[in-house]
Amino acid sequence: MKPAKFEYSRPDDLPTVLALLADQEDARILAGGQSLVPMMNFRIAQPAALIDINRVPGLDYIRMEGDVIAIGALARHADIQRSPVIQSNIPIMTEAYDWVAHSAVRNRGTLCGNLCHADPASEMPALMQLLEAQMVVASHTGQREVPAADFFTGTYETALEPDEMLTEVRIAKPAAGTGWRFEEVSMRKGDFAWAACAAMLRLEAGQIAMPRVAVAGVGDAPMRLDAVEAILTGQAPSEDLFQTAAQTGADAIDPPETPAASAAYRKDLVRTLLPRVLSTAAERAE
Amino acid sequence: MDKIEVSLTVNGRTRAALVSPRMLLSDFIRHELALPGTHVGCEHGVCGSCNVLVDGKAVRSCLMFAVQTDGAQITTIEGFGDGDLDPIQTAFWEEHGLQCGFCTPGMLASAKELLDHNPDPSDEEIREAISGNLCRCTGYEYIINAIRSAAAKLRAADPAAA
Amino acid sequence: MASHLDSNVIPPSRQREVPRQGMTWIGQSIKRVEDPRILSGKGGYIDDITVPGMAHAAMVRSPHAHARIVSIDTSKAKDLPGVIGVYTGEDLATVVDPCPSFASPPVPQHAMSIGKVRHVGEVVAAVVAEDRYIAEDAADLIEVEWDVLPANVDIEASLEATGDAVIHPDDRESNSALDQTFAFGPVEQHFAEADHVIKRRLRWNRSSAQAIETCGVVADYDAFKGGYTIHANTNFYNFIPFVIGGSLRVSPGELRIIPVLAGGSFGSKVFIHKIIILTAGLARLAGVPVKYIEDRMEHFMNSDSHGSDRLYDAELAVMEDGTFRSLRFTVLDDYGAYLQFGVGTHGNAMAQVTGPYQIESVGMRVIAVLTNKCQQGPYRGFGSEVTNWVIERMVDATAEELGRDGVELREQNMVQPDQFPYMIPTGNIYDSGNFQEVLAQAKGLIDYDAWKARAAEMRTEGRCVGVGLATCMERSVYGPTEWWSLNDKEAPGFTLTSTPEGISARIDPSGKMFVTLNSPMVGNSPETVVTQILAERLTVAPEDVVINYADSQTGFNGVGPQGSRFTAMIAGACVSASIKLEERLLRFAAHMLQRRPDDLELRNGAVGVKGLKDQEKSFGEIALTSSFFRLSFPDTEEFDSGLETTAVYDHPISSDPHPDREHLGIFYPIVGHICHIVAVEVDPGTGKVDILDYAAVHDNGTIVNPRTLGGQVWGGTANGIGSTLFEQFIYDDEGQFTNPNFAEFAMPTANEMPRNFKLGHVETPSPFTEYGIKGGGEGGRLGAPSALTTAIEDALKTYGVKINSLPVTPPTLRGLIRERELAITAE
Repeated sequence: MKPAKFEYSRPDDLPTVLALLADQEDARILAGGQSLVPMMNFRIAQPAALIDINRVPGLDYIRMEGDVIAIGALARHADIQRSPVIQSNIPIMTEAYDWVAHSAVRNRGTLCGNLCHADPASEMPALMQLLEAQMVVASHTGQREVPAADFFTGTYETALEPDEMLTEVRIAKPAAGTGWRFEEVSMRKGDFAWAACAAMLRLEAGQIAMPRVAVAGVGDAPMRLDAVEAILTGQAPSEDLFQTAAQTGADAIDPPETPAASAAYRKDLVRTLLPRVLSTAAERAE
Repeated sequence: MDKIEVSLTVNGRTRAALVSPRMLLSDFIRHELALPGTHVGCEHGVCGSCNVLVDGKAVRSCLMFAVQTDGAQITTIEGFGDGDLDPIQTAFWEEHGLQCGFCTPGMLASAKELLDHNPDPSDEEIREAISGNLCRCTGYEYIINAIRSAAAKLRAADPAAA
Repeated sequence: MASHLDSNVIPPSRQREVPRQGMTWIGQSIKRVEDPRILSGKGGYIDDITVPGMAHAAMVRSPHAHARIVSIDTSKAKDLPGVIGVYTGEDLATVVDPCPSFASPPVPQHAMSIGKVRHVGEVVAAVVAEDRYIAEDAADLIEVEWDVLPANVDIEASLEATGDAVIHPDDRESNSALDQTFAFGPVEQHFAEADHVIKRRLRWNRSSAQAIETCGVVADYDAFKGGYTIHANTNFYNFIPFVIGGSLRVSPGELRIIPVLAGGSFGSKVFIHKIIILTAGLARLAGVPVKYIEDRMEHFMNSDSHGSDRLYDAELAVMEDGTFRSLRFTVLDDYGAYLQFGVGTHGNAMAQVTGPYQIESVGMRVIAVLTNKCQQGPYRGFGSEVTNWVIERMVDATAEELGRDGVELREQNMVQPDQFPYMIPTGNIYDSGNFQEVLAQAKGLIDYDAWKARAAEMRTEGRCVGVGLATCMERSVYGPTEWWSLNDKEAPGFTLTSTPEGISARIDPSGKMFVTLNSPMVGNSPETVVTQILAERLTVAPEDVVINYADSQTGFNGVGPQGSRFTAMIAGACVSASIKLEERLLRFAAHMLQRRPDDLELRNGAVGVKGLKDQEKSFGEIALTSSFFRLSFPDTEEFDSGLETTAVYDHPISSDPHPDREHLGIFYPIVGHICHIVAVEVDPGTGKVDILDYAAVHDNGTIVNPRTLGGQVWGGTANGIGSTLFEQFIYDDEGQFTNPNFAEFAMPTANEMPRNFKLGHVETPSPFTEYGIKGGGEGGRLGAPSALTTAIEDALKTYGVKINSLPVTPPTLRGLIRERELAITAE
């Protein structure tokens, strides 16, 4: 299991990265490499060129910019997981990181690389949908922002053009008083999700406001459950409501049938997890 | 593609080499630097046997290219003890933290990183720290005992750090 | 005892060192001798071996489960710079013959496929190149044209296969490789007399050991230097050169197998002759030394070490009062595409098929089914892990149908302490035991009664908490008749009856004791146990014992670590060697001290005069004098220079199978006993199982090193937990192996293991082995599945979930719960 040959470059600045990305056929960005390199070792991926961005200074930031948290292309999972900025502003992200792989992988792996890999069973893509993150995408010709909802287009597929790179993720700080919860079921802790559910909501006069629910592992791409959010909006939290939401959520998805886990099982998981995440989120909401 | 020159510090010694870009760090350490203590178990980033410390952090050496480590500081199992067993290795010996020993280098790297940052970890923190290291022999219990014991040894040796 | 066993006479014990209390070294948890070099990165595993001029091999693997090879185009691969040679099965066959087979009649297997592939991952071509990277580049350039044939995946359907679906049409008309029926005692009569017949259909699915190190070989062929020099991480290097030599067309004198430290085996490295033959053949063809290390996918798909894959239709004949009378079953076993050791895993299981219970007769029909999967090999338990689970499932089923408490029913039927040695209907004996004491200790460790009450109370609160208890046997020290006793009596195959273990020992003039073993280290603790036993028997200091490993030409009899045999067997060899060395030590010392040998004793690494503290000669002095000062001793042969000896220990107690297979003889008689108790909580909505508490008590006779035994128990239990909750090889309908990687084949991590593991031991010595030692390498996996299964059923009592198949992964368990939810709703 050795990777095939590739051209390697290690630019010192982003413009050079983007120029190389535009110039080279079948080039891939090498950040943490924790998804890409295993696929290269299996020779499932055989990119002609790797552009190693690890020497580009100033891409590893995790910072507040007003009410927005900006996370750079080289910010590693481990640093984000431990970041006080994240812990105090987006606690659901810290909570979700408990389910992401294992420490040595988190030490190298980057959030942006993880998102570009777009594994539908991965936690962070679902979380970005939940948080309505903006994906800052750059190419040699300029820069655009893509909402998370439009970024994940399918299994291992994103809205990135071949000459584009995800340079930053921008997450608006959830409103004060937002309750949250992330739960997942996988074979072992750290494995990809059979199903993961994430919820954020606020309570206004005892009624649910601005609910957001996202799921991973149950479709071609992570997704928001609009139908569930609609049911929750304006209702007082109750076990009955959450059970109804759970059934609605299970009905709304069309999960994959895989040898290890059936579609029916994944629906069951959504049915089981949704009331749990919703009730915890409601308890945490102020 | 042509080979690229790298220069790095491995176990305190400067090493320079010409490497092909696709040479995995694990192969580079084992076969080019002749440090076979780092083991390769899966080559897809799951088993953790190949974990080494790169700039103080435990990483999968099968998921890095050697060329990426130009200028880095690397510690492998051969660099732990400086001619003797270090306190973590000693604790693994005393607590029977290994049987076949194949996962041990990666376990030690994960343990060292943990104890460098957390001198008094709980058992759950130890479990989490080694949860990315598969061991098929021990059932992990004696490894956890060993890391707990190593932490105590290190704290006793350097009370200030604790 | 039933009359069919009349001819099965238990031979007298050959035990020389009787078990005793208060030994100096045996029973101590000394730190392992093996560890410092391993901990410093200098273990010396197969991939650490480098030979000058060595090239590297990579394989082209079949993407199909069953296909004819129409053509192989190697031209592009051959043209790639750095490639030394590219070879197909036909090329390899010019220098090697088919792999050895212990099956009867044999199922032919080539180290590299010729004409046809029979499972995904089978090798169809190989590249030898300057490095592995180039070799893999070249392998990608090889083009194979296939004629895809129907794949046999399902164990029952494969038996019906005809035409192109038959896997070995030249040798067999169907995919049934063996179909044999046995009755050990009056089975029909016992079933006719029974008040109840409990029936279950039980499925144990395929997985494998997946040691963290794969298998590998470094081979060199040089006709002028005497043939093949081979490094390999096999368990079995001193036992099989003659069969490997047959395949390589050389005499054992032209074949030198050098052992290395193996990075875990659990049985999986016992049968690695295929890649030894493959790599050696490539080295001969390429004219350079060749290294081939399986990558992880190859190890999953092609390492010939898949575990048991069985479907049982089992019946237990029971009397009204709960007395077990007879057990009978039909078992289909999916052996994959080949059958390297016949149905040895079923022979093994016959050693303890009745568990710890008194059951008067056993009936069995075993059908070895060929399918388009990688063939089976040993995996910790070697088939007995399945029968242990089957018998415990049947006991639980009986308890349920009779409305009895499962533990009480077990106690009622258990063999009693005064019944040993106890012969079971298959003819094997249980040498010693105290099952009741093991059970009592296990219950005490975990406070069983309190847990049962707590679990019941938690269930009334709506939580799914349950407790499971299993009482199982752990046979150890195998006899080789297990390989062939179930073969067709008319064609029994290779009727091997020896499993010796040898040792050589020398005390050099410095006083150090140099010991050479004939079996490798695979993660067990051979050097530590040998050190402890020799220190005990000869009074040497452990630090004065230096241990090395012979190769297949310098060594002699050794079978290696497998079947939980090594510690008990090497103890026998150590005692034999010690007796011989002691005789020489006393002879030389007697001359030096001017005493008679009878007046002397061994003490603290010296020979001293009994009763006289200051009159002694250290082993070093004796060795120095006997090695360098020949003229100080009489000029007779018995004073020939030096203190050295060799010794071979044969199986402690075994006998031949009955010619008509009325019984199978005594073949696996050193039998331990284990009790596992586990408390679990199931999350019914997800099927996840949380282990709340765990106790294991193992009786492995006299314990040499409690801590290393503890490591074996713990590790085996982890394997058993994996086999129960997580690990399964999943093949799809086309025979594609869907999860051959560590991300999807889910072995437990530290997170999945129980937090409150409590370990206890009872020591009932064997009357047959030296010091009363029994083996203990497999017990965890022999007990955990049964206890966990029972616990999960108990936890899901309110749903009425029945577990008849392992593993119960969360999706599987959730599926069982869903079925019951629907059924309950419908009611």
